Parts: sequence; structure tokens; C-alpha cells
Amino acid sequence: MTRRDANWLILRATAIAPWLNAHQEHLHSSAPSDPHNWTNYRPKFFSPEDFQLLASFTEILIPTDDTPGAREAHVAAFIDFVVDAAAEFAPETQDHWRAAALWLHSIDLKNITAPDQLSPHFQLIKEMTVHAFYTSRIGLIDVLEYQGNAYLTEFPGCAHQEHHDPI
Amino acid sequence: MTQFDAIIVGSGACGGWACMTLAQQGFKVAMLEAGSAVVPAREFRHRWPYELDFRGNGQPGLLKKYFHHASEFNYRIMCDDRENPYTTDPDKPFVWTRSRVLGGRTLHWSRASDRMSDFEFKAASRDGYGENWPISYSDIAPYYDRVESFIGVSAAAANLPQFPDGVFLPPMPLNCAETIFQSACRKTGFPATTRRVAQLTRMLNNRPPCHYCGNCVNGCDVGAMFSTVSTTLPPALKTGNVTLLCDSVASHVLLDSEQRASGIRYIERFTNRSLELKAPIVILAGSSLENTRLLLNSQKGGLANSSGVLGHYLMDQLVGAGASGFLPQLKNTAIRNDDGKSGGLYIPNFNNLSPAKNPKFIRGYAMSASGGAAMFPTFASTLPGYGSTFKKDVKSLYPAHSLVWMSGGEMLARKENFVEIDPIVKDKWDIPVLKIHCTHSANDQALYQDFFNRAHELFRAAKGELTETKPLLAPPGSLIHEVGTCRMGDDPKSSVLNSFCQTHDIKNLFVFGGGCFVTTGDKHPTLTMLALTARGCDRLVDLARKKEL
Repeated sequence: MTRRDANWLILRATAIAPWLNAHQEHLHSSAPSDPHNWTNYRPKFFSPEDFQLLASFTEILIPTDDTPGAREAHVAAFIDFVVDAAAEFAPETQDHWRAAALWLHSIDLKNITAPDQLSPHFQLIKEMTVHAFYTSRIGLIDVLEYQGNAYLTEFPGCAHQEHHDPI
Repeated sequence: MTQFDAIIVGSGACGGWACMTLAQQGFKVAMLEAGSAVVPAREFRHRWPYELDFRGNGQPGLLKKYFHHASEFNYRIMCDDRENPYTTDPDKPFVWTRSRVLGGRTLHWSRASDRMSDFEFKAASRDGYGENWPISYSDIAPYYDRVESFIGVSAAAANLPQFPDGVFLPPMPLNCAETIFQSACRKTGFPATTRRVAQLTRMLNNRPPCHYCGNCVNGCDVGAMFSTVSTTLPPALKTGNVTLLCDSVASHVLLDSEQRASGIRYIERFTNRSLELKAPIVILAGSSLENTRLLLNSQKGGLANSSGVLGHYLMDQLVGAGASGFLPQLKNTAIRNDDGKSGGLYIPNFNNLSPAKNPKFIRGYAMSASGGAAMFPTFASTLPGYGSTFKKDVKSLYPAHSLVWMSGGEMLARKENFVEIDPIVKDKWDIPVLKIHCTHSANDQALYQDFFNRAHELFRAAKGELTETKPLLAPPGSLIHEVGTCRMGDDPKSSVLNSFCQTHDIKNLFVFGGGCFVTTGDKHPTLTMLALTARGCDRLVDLARKKEL
């Protein structure tokens, strides 16, 4: 390698370095987009009518208010995808969701009562909705503002004096 | 064909260490691994739940194959239980979480690295129960030094006789919840320090420091946490003395006409071909119970079992429901990075240290505490209500969710807890499997109950709002600290191994791992397993050079 080559390499390295750092930081600190395409999802397990009902119900459980909700996170689509995939190893899961769909027809979505909330069907749908929502990019990043899974040089420890003080 | 000086079965923490040491001493080593090779740089990376098809849970029903501890993030480096079954009595469950992969459980372990003390090695002298270890702290301390210096342990010195300090890298800072629990410990009078983890906070031996992504148990992408593949295998391979045989399932220890170990019979995982490999030294390092299974399968009545204790004195440290809930100080605060680092606050054992003994139980336990915003709000599905209020509650509680757990309670060594060969069931390669018999004693229950009360005491001292929990001891095996069944001792009539992990009966047969443990103690076992391996390897090299094996 000649000195000119070396100079050129150093020059290139200094020019690239800030960009490289910024690029890596970007790669690690910002969560990637969801690789799945949930828009225009066509249900595979639920009938179109049941799917619509399920979607409405998940949007009541986690509504769109000042932050996005189950609708933006495509919670119903994810549920249909999972329940459909249960056919292979856990067919009994599909039975539970068939019963849950029937139950959805039997209640008044505009007036969810206390007994409704004690139903195992309510629990099943709520658990799955919570899982689907808070593991979605919208739920985890936009709503919960999760800060982890990043790339840091030092871990930010607790700097609040009141947490160090005697209780 | 290569002539080998030694065969090592298993590539976990102890197999990797033995392989590195022997290869560097000029031994030609063959290391057998039942699972596949992994290339961390290619297979481990930062992952997000929504990138996975099933958001971490796997296809419904699929992960049943992988038992309790696998998720969609890491099941590929866990063990398929349907190919590798084991049996128990129907009403006495034992949870045996294994890995069959190059590096074994070091790829996804919790990295906690504690030194045991003479309170544990010599516990029998103190309370009259069971047996002492044949070593004391001073025998093993230099090997703890050596292992810590090489693998890298980030920790803070605590200056506690029951929790000896070592060679440490700087500790990871505590997050808010851990800091609050630390303040609470001052109030309750519990000792408390940073959890000690085999995870780099500074560059060491060409390994980069931790970058606090929190993907540890799914495999570290840069090798900042200790594992065979990140730490011991690279220098081992560099010697040119190592032949790595992955996808090779060991089935028998071979013997020569003089009843000395002469090699290993193994089965190629995908072809089912049965092959033999010969060497003058045989080392079993394939996990506590797999080593014992191999010995039991190698000869009727068990190989190296003149004592009759092979398979007996099975233990796992105790674990069960702790205290969880919310720290009001952290409710509705800005979301911080709380789970980027591992660890937490560690509360070393403080029971039965002084001559005034606890009247309810012997031995002790360690606790850990942590909290804050984790990747998934596990508390949300049981939080009552729905709608906007529910959403706001989840967000407000997200940074405040906290937990005190049992990170190791001593389970007493009892002969009636044992493993044997199941007379009927065989694995995918037609190798008879283990039948495991293990239950908790009254002392185990009393010790757990005391932990449960103290965990709640600590949580209340931190002003935490407790979620109601029932005291429930998890089935044995749950902590994945299973040890014993091949214990060490000075007397060949009551132990399988001597204090160098060499079998009393067969001089050229060594068994590294947790099998040799005489008691569980209250520390995480891996560092002690590694130190005992380092000590055993020194002895092995010495004896081999003197031609005394």
C-alpha cells in the first residue's frame, strides 16, 4: 500500500465514520417496521361477519383515543391468523374461538355488563387482544413507548436522588 | 484417522472449558455435541415480537415440544422434548429444561455468577445434616479467580463472608426499581448488592462489552455474555488441536479389557449410524443428568458405581412464587430503558449464618429484585376493565411493575431423590431415557415459606402495592439448577467422584458439571461448575503427564 492509498483510506474513513455511527444508532435504537402486511387482511378462520364483530369488540377493549388502538394495530387480523394456524397442533384452540364468536353474537356490544366481563369468552378475547396489541409495533413503540432493545454504550442507571434516599 | 488424547462429551460451560484447557496444553481433543452448530453472528440478533409470525408464542401447540422455557425467540436453541423424552411418576413432576446445541445452555443462561462459600461447602459441620464437600473455599478460590478473569464477571464487591468477592469488571448500574429495593433493604436490614453476571462491561479477550439490548436469553449477537461459542471455543479452535463433532449423540462409554474407559460410542443424529471413537481419556460434560444417564446406560448397574450412589442425591434449587406488584413511586413516570441490562438487585442469603439458628429450617436462600418497563406488560391481561381507562392504567403501571423472586434456595440432598433408567421408554436414537424421582422435603417447604414472607416484607418496605400471590413452590427442576446424582467425596464408598471430578473406580474417566455437587448451596451453580472443571483439568493434565491415568 502506498502512502497515497493510506491517506485516501484515512480520508475516506473520517468521512464515513460519522455517517456510520449515525447509521448504526439508527439501526439499533429505532424499531424496524412490521414485516407483515396486515392491511387488506382477509380472514381465514372467522366468517366475514364474525371477523367484523371480533374487530369491533377488540376496538372496544383497546379503543383509539389520544393514542392508536386495536384498529390501527390490526388486532383482529392477528387473532384470525393465529387461530387459523392452530389447526395443526392445537385444534382445541379453534373450538374455544368458535364458542367465543357465538358468545359475541349473544351480547350487546353497546352495553357490556359486569357478568359479561366474568365470562371465560371475555377473558379469552381480552387476553389475546392485550397480547396482540402490546406486541404490535403500534402498541409497543407508539403507545407504551418501550425504550429497550437498543444499542447503548453505557446503561443509564437510576439518577433520581429520591430513589436512593432512605424510605 | 486422527488419534485423540481425550474425548469430551458435551459443549456446554464445562465441556467448553475443558476443551480449551486441554487443547492449549497440546492434547488432541474430540468434542462431541448432540445438537447442531450455531453461528451467533448469523443467528442471533435484536428481535422484536412483531417481526415473529406469532409474536413470541410460536404456532399454537408447537412449543409444547419444547416444554416450559422456550419461546418463539429461542426454541431453536432449546431441546425438543418429543425427541428427548424423560419420565417421572405421574404425581411427581420434574421439570428438566435442556439444550441440544453447540454451547448448550450457555447460549441462553441467566449468566448469574456467584462464588459458593464455606457456609455451603462445610454446612454439614455447622448443622449436622448430610455431608460436607471434600473441598473448602480455599481449595477452589484460585480457580474462581481464574475463571472470572477469563469469562468476565461484572459485579460489585460486597464484603460478605457468605458471598465471597472475586475478580470483577465494573458492575452494571441499577435501574430505578432496583434502586428503590436497595433503599428498602437498608430498612429491612437485608444485605443487597448488584447481581453478579458473566457479562462484559469492558472489552475482554477480544470480546466486546455488553450493549444493553436485553436479548441475552435468546442468544447474544456479539458474545458479550459468556458462552462456549463466544468465549472458550474460539481459543480452543485456534490451537488446531480440536475436532468438533456436532450432531453426535453419545450413547455409551466404552471400556477396554482392563475396565478402563477407552472411548465413546455415539450415534449420528441424522443418519442414525452408530460409531465409536477411541481415546485414552474420557470426559463427560454433557449436563448433570445426561452424564449420569450415560454412566447408567454404559454398564448394568451403572458405570463407576461401586458406591451405589450414582443417580442418587438429585437436587435443584428451590424456586416458587415471590412477591410482585407495583412501586407507586414509579407510576405514571416517563418510560425508561429498564430491561436493557440483565440482572437486578441481589440479596445474598442471610439465614443460619450466626450460631443462633433459625428454628424453622436449616440452610438458606438468595433473593433478587427488579422492575420497570419490560418488553411485554405481563400484568396487563389480568388487570381488570377495558377501554380507554384500561389503556391508561396499563401505561401508568408499565414503568412501575416490579418483582422480588427467589434466585436460589437450598434444596436438601436426599438419597430418595434419584434418577434411574426407564425400563421401557427410549429416545429417538433408541437410547434408554431417565426416569426422575424428585420431591421436596419439609425443610424445603419451610425454607420456601420463609422466603415468601421475606419477599413480601421487602416489597412492603419499598412501599410497593402487592398483587395477591399464593405461596407455591414450583416443581423441582424449575430453576434449571439441577445438580447431584454423581457426587464427589473423599470416601469411594459414598461418592462417585473425587474432588477433582475423577471417578473413584476408573482413573481415566472424568465427569464435569453439576453432577458432582454435594449440596446445592444458595448460589447460582455455573461458576462453581466451571471452577471445579478448571481444577479437575489441572489435575488431569498433571496425571496424564506423569502417565498416571
